[in-house]
Amino acid sequence: MSVNGETSSITGFDASDHQPAFIFTPSAIEGAPERPAKRRRVGRTSAPDPTKHAQAFRFERLLNGLEDTECVGLREELFKRHWAKTEERIQSILGESNEDTLTKVTSFVQDVAPTEGSGIVPTGFIVTGPNIASQGLLFEQLSERLKTEVNGPVVTLRSGDAANLKAALKQLIRDATNQRAVNEDEGEGFFERDGRKLLNYDLEILHGFVKLHGSKRAIVAFQDSEAFDPGLLGDLIALFSSWMNRIPFVLLFGIATSIDLFRERLPRAATKCLFGAQFDVEQTSSVFESVFLKVIAGSEAPLRLGPALVSSLIERQHNHVQSIQAFISALKYAYMCHFYANPLSVLSDNERDSKSLLKLLQSEHLEAIRMLPSFIKLVENSVEKHEVTLARGLLEDDKVLLREVEKALDSATQRVITILRTMHVLSSAATGPVEKIDLYVRAFKGSLSDSDTVRAVLDSIKRMAPDALIAFIGRITKAVENGSPELDLEGWLGEETEFLKEITDIQGEVTSLVEEAVETGKPVRSQYAIHSQGLRTTVIAQKVQLSYEKSTLSKQDIKYTALIDRMSNLLKEYFTFEHPQDLFLNEVWLYDSLSPYKEVFTPGSRLAIEQSLSAPYHYLPGCKDTGDAFSSSKPATAILYQMYLESGSLINVSDIWTAFFSIVGGEESEGYDERTALMLFYRGLADLKLLGMVKPSRKKVDHLAKSVWKGL
Amino acid sequence: MASLFSLPNELVLNSLRSSFPCRDQQIRSLATLLSIRGAPPRNIVLHGLEATGKSAITKALLEALSSGPTNTTANGDSEEEHAEDNLRHAIVKSAECITGRHLLEQTVGAVASAVGWREGVRRCDSLSQLVVELGRLFEGWTSDRTDGAKQRFVLVFDGIDNQREAPPTLLPALARLGEVIPNLTSVFIVTAPRPNFLHFPGVPHIHFPPYTKAEILQILSLTDPSPKLPEGAKDTKDVWIRFGSAVWDSLAKHSGRDILSIRSVCLRLWPRFIAPVLEGTHSASQFSRLLLANRSLFQNDGVLVPSIVADTPTNPTPLPSSLQHGKYRGIGAQLPYYSRLLLVAAYLASFNPPRTDQVHFMKAAAAKRRKKGGGTALPKGRPGVTKHRKISRKLLGPQAFVLERMLAIFHAIEEDADLRAKAGRGRERTAGAADIQMAIATLATLRLLVKVGAANAGDTLDAGSKYRVAVGWEVVRGVARSVGVEAEDYLAE
Ligand SMILES: Nc1ncnc2c1ncn2[C@@H]1O[C@H](COP(=O)(O)OP(=O)(O)OP(=O)(O)O)[C@@H](O)[C@H]1O
Ligand SMILES: [Mg+2]
Repeated sequence: MSVNGETSSITGFDASDHQPAFIFTPSAIEGAPERPAKRRRVGRTSAPDPTKHAQAFRFERLLNGLEDTECVGLREELFKRHWAKTEERIQSILGESNEDTLTKVTSFVQDVAPTEGSGIVPTGFIVTGPNIASQGLLFEQLSERLKTEVNGPVVTLRSGDAANLKAALKQLIRDATNQRAVNEDEGEGFFERDGRKLLNYDLEILHGFVKLHGSKRAIVAFQDSEAFDPGLLGDLIALFSSWMNRIPFVLLFGIATSIDLFRERLPRAATKCLFGAQFDVEQTSSVFESVFLKVIAGSEAPLRLGPALVSSLIERQHNHVQSIQAFISALKYAYMCHFYANPLSVLSDNERDSKSLLKLLQSEHLEAIRMLPSFIKLVENSVEKHEVTLARGLLEDDKVLLREVEKALDSATQRVITILRTMHVLSSAATGPVEKIDLYVRAFKGSLSDSDTVRAVLDSIKRMAPDALIAFIGRITKAVENGSPELDLEGWLGEETEFLKEITDIQGEVTSLVEEAVETGKPVRSQYAIHSQGLRTTVIAQKVQLSYEKSTLSKQDIKYTALIDRMSNLLKEYFTFEHPQDLFLNEVWLYDSLSPYKEVFTPGSRLAIEQSLSAPYHYLPGCKDTGDAFSSSKPATAILYQMYLESGSLINVSDIWTAFFSIVGGEESEGYDERTALMLFYRGLADLKLLGMVKPSRKKVDHLAKSVWKGL
Repeated sequence: MASLFSLPNELVLNSLRSSFPCRDQQIRSLATLLSIRGAPPRNIVLHGLEATGKSAITKALLEALSSGPTNTTANGDSEEEHAEDNLRHAIVKSAECITGRHLLEQTVGAVASAVGWREGVRRCDSLSQLVVELGRLFEGWTSDRTDGAKQRFVLVFDGIDNQREAPPTLLPALARLGEVIPNLTSVFIVTAPRPNFLHFPGVPHIHFPPYTKAEILQILSLTDPSPKLPEGAKDTKDVWIRFGSAVWDSLAKHSGRDILSIRSVCLRLWPRFIAPVLEGTHSASQFSRLLLANRSLFQNDGVLVPSIVADTPTNPTPLPSSLQHGKYRGIGAQLPYYSRLLLVAAYLASFNPPRTDQVHFMKAAAAKRRKKGGGTALPKGRPGVTKHRKISRKLLGPQAFVLERMLAIFHAIEEDADLRAKAGRGRERTAGAADIQMAIATLATLRLLVKVGAANAGDTLDAGSKYRVAVGWEVVRGVARSVGVEAEDYLAE
């Protein structure tokens, strides 16, 4: 499933596949000295130079090609700068997330004491969860760490390296012995013994190496243990166990499923030789959340993803892949699309002030701004507010527009931060655990105020006793004071005035009420609390009971109820803010297009092939939709495909040929003669075979077996 | 005059016998055959089941014979005459030899270092080269002996019957080494020899029979358990033996009865067994009470499965029931939604016969199925055929299926899952999506789906590739429920 594998399989599929014969075209021009390619170490030099490739790729001029080169350059630079920073943040989070595991495994490897003579190999089982993509990073970090902290060779084996026992051992020995630069005087003595050159899969070599360097451990890590052939693993383990008295092996297994499942697959003789500890890697979902909060929601994110894109990303995480890597590439692609295709993205340069940014703008940019949905919203709003001159100015006068743009740019950061702060306050006010990503989606959809979380918070206030309310307000003040490191928010106690003053005010009043109550000895309750109690206690005499309770409300109770109402209204107001996607120029810092993501990251390869074969007229210019499935205007392959769909699981070649010829051939003038038709027939069948749809059947002569059905 | 024949030193034998009890006869026969003035044959075969002491005893005996004092012999011969006798040995473990060629190289290497060969050794990649090379080594060795002294070399092939990539002529050729090279005895340690497997008549065989209960207990008494009882070493040993006997009766009687397994089980259970004594709630003298208190230890077959992870205080060895229960909860919860659904589809494809697919997965049949609850409506085509097959499909294990069939089943149950799981998940186009193919490939990598047939026949995702599901019913039911599917509804029988 590696990316490399995919590209190579595509490159193997080229036009020459259809040529009847291979035509040799000497690429070297005459006169060039005929030299055989160097056998060794050509891999590095012959690989295409990535920097050169990047140079060839340039951002296009947008705005119908009228965009300034300066702006083009700026967009490219912005993309590079912003992405580099974002990536750095992601990497540091990923590094930290594995830190705990790394430390634990390292100390396990250092401390574990193999029992003498028992043949038991000390083993660490690293349970990573089914996210195979992240195993690579973890094991890379692990081997780096172990190499620096443990005296001894560290080798990571992957299932791809180890087709059989011999190959695995060769790889193991080569990797281990390459880990130390060979001293001149030491030589590579361990490759032979008693003047006998050892076979390159002989663990004797490793033994010699370990002795020579005085290694304390020889660590062998199996990155994707499940993908190894269990028999092979069993052989390897038995072998290691047999060598334990000479080589201090320590094994590490990366396990995607569970230890029990893994153990059951191993031969019993092998499991007897393993004993060790289990290490759990931090779950993808929690890493995912912290990455998300930092680089998409965080206050320093240069580009934010909109709610539609985020929900679709999250859904894919849930439904298909659970991998941070996939998420990171989607994020990077979003950055690329934004800066590549949006001419207004130049405005998101946070290193220049808005004045100098405005100077960059050409009249085409302004035209583009006037096309934005958020501009339309702005004009509509000003018309609604009866500011007709402003609306007209925005539409007609560039100066007015520029002034408005400047205002929007200056206030953008502040507005986003306000939203983030609200989110933070909400999540610390909520009693239960909060889905922070969900909160983000709702906030940027502008529907935070009627989300479940807000409703739950408001409900809970109503039933709160005074003490709980005081604690609740304390929590909010604390949140304001401390800010949120997750979101890169600093405390904003100094700035917030209205809201904070109000709630501290309420807090003070509640406290004094409580003090009074302590003196009088009567507890203070709100009307709502009493109300719900009354309802609960009596069912039949509901009405009577309720009015009775109400009339007994003490003065304090009424006062407290009023305070609660005030608090509730205050919060409701606080959690309500303008829809971020209505903010003027939000398109500069908010990216929310779904279709590029869908097209690139969720291809329907099989679907596409089936579509193009059954409806080629959507793709080919010379082909018309005649409504007839067997129209002779379709390409031969498409006609054959249609017949293929209608036949059973065994296809008689002679029958299908007759049917085919009756469509494309014929006496009419446009029909093909038999020779041409046969050629087309063969080619069509070859195409179907290439697509894996038919293969020769062993059940019956002259029949083809159908192996693929449509729509699966 | 030195006698031609003399038995090995009793002292040596006695010390061996005390460290390997119950192997008296085997030690004696082997010593007689191997000792330098004994009755050396060219080949010896040692055979017996796992962990019956074959390797350990051979090694210990050879070490004793080749270094031990040969100067006082059993029949009191004078010292000087035998002083120059020289017995050397080399042991080649087949378990450590990766190929047949490796075995030959190892043999030459081991012999060279045993005879103290100083010059270079040539490569050795065929049996005939082995013979030449060994001949050269032994010639060098025998050339510098003193007159009258006897020389003998013992070459042990441990586990030769399990040699990987062995050429077919290996065993007969090795058995004939002694014909070509004088003074060489080859010892073959095997598990269960076929008659005449060396193609060489008259080879002495020594059998190492499995131990009986009494013997096991005697060997077990050599081990010192830890921690010790407060009452002292003697009481500890007493309790240990009785404990060993109890373990044998309850657990090892039916499985894991070789000395190594039972020893490790005993050592593992011991600390928990005597915990009440150490805590002071029971006394060691009341063994039966102690046994009663620890009843649960002996009813738990789980300990027979060697655990590969250390028990931590927070995570004690789970009892079998909880083991069954919590086993795969992890994997079910961790896999993405569609992977789980695919796993269920794979299970159904593996355990449902293809001819019932129409009943279970056709849309028209859906309503009928729900009413009847399960696939009882099998086509009554040929009653004779179905009647004969009485074995439940589940017992037959998972059958192979082609990928295309699993995909079809997947799409059938996907609709149901979406109908039932009203989590508000928007329906997504999954037909022909690359993400589904990726999920299949991932499941195959994790070996939750196992590819059937040759490893590199056809691509992983080729429609014709055959697979088998590798998880059991318990797991699948849990996984299916987590995606809102009742797997029973679709299962035949
Ligand atoms: N009679 C005995 N007394 C003491 N210890 C014994 C005895 N028999 C076996 N053992 C112990 O059992 C262990 C296994 O023995 P050994 O390796 O010789 O078995 P084996 O017959 O070679 O088995 P395999 O066929 O698996 O190679 C050794 O550690 C040995 O100490
Ligand atoms: Mg052995």
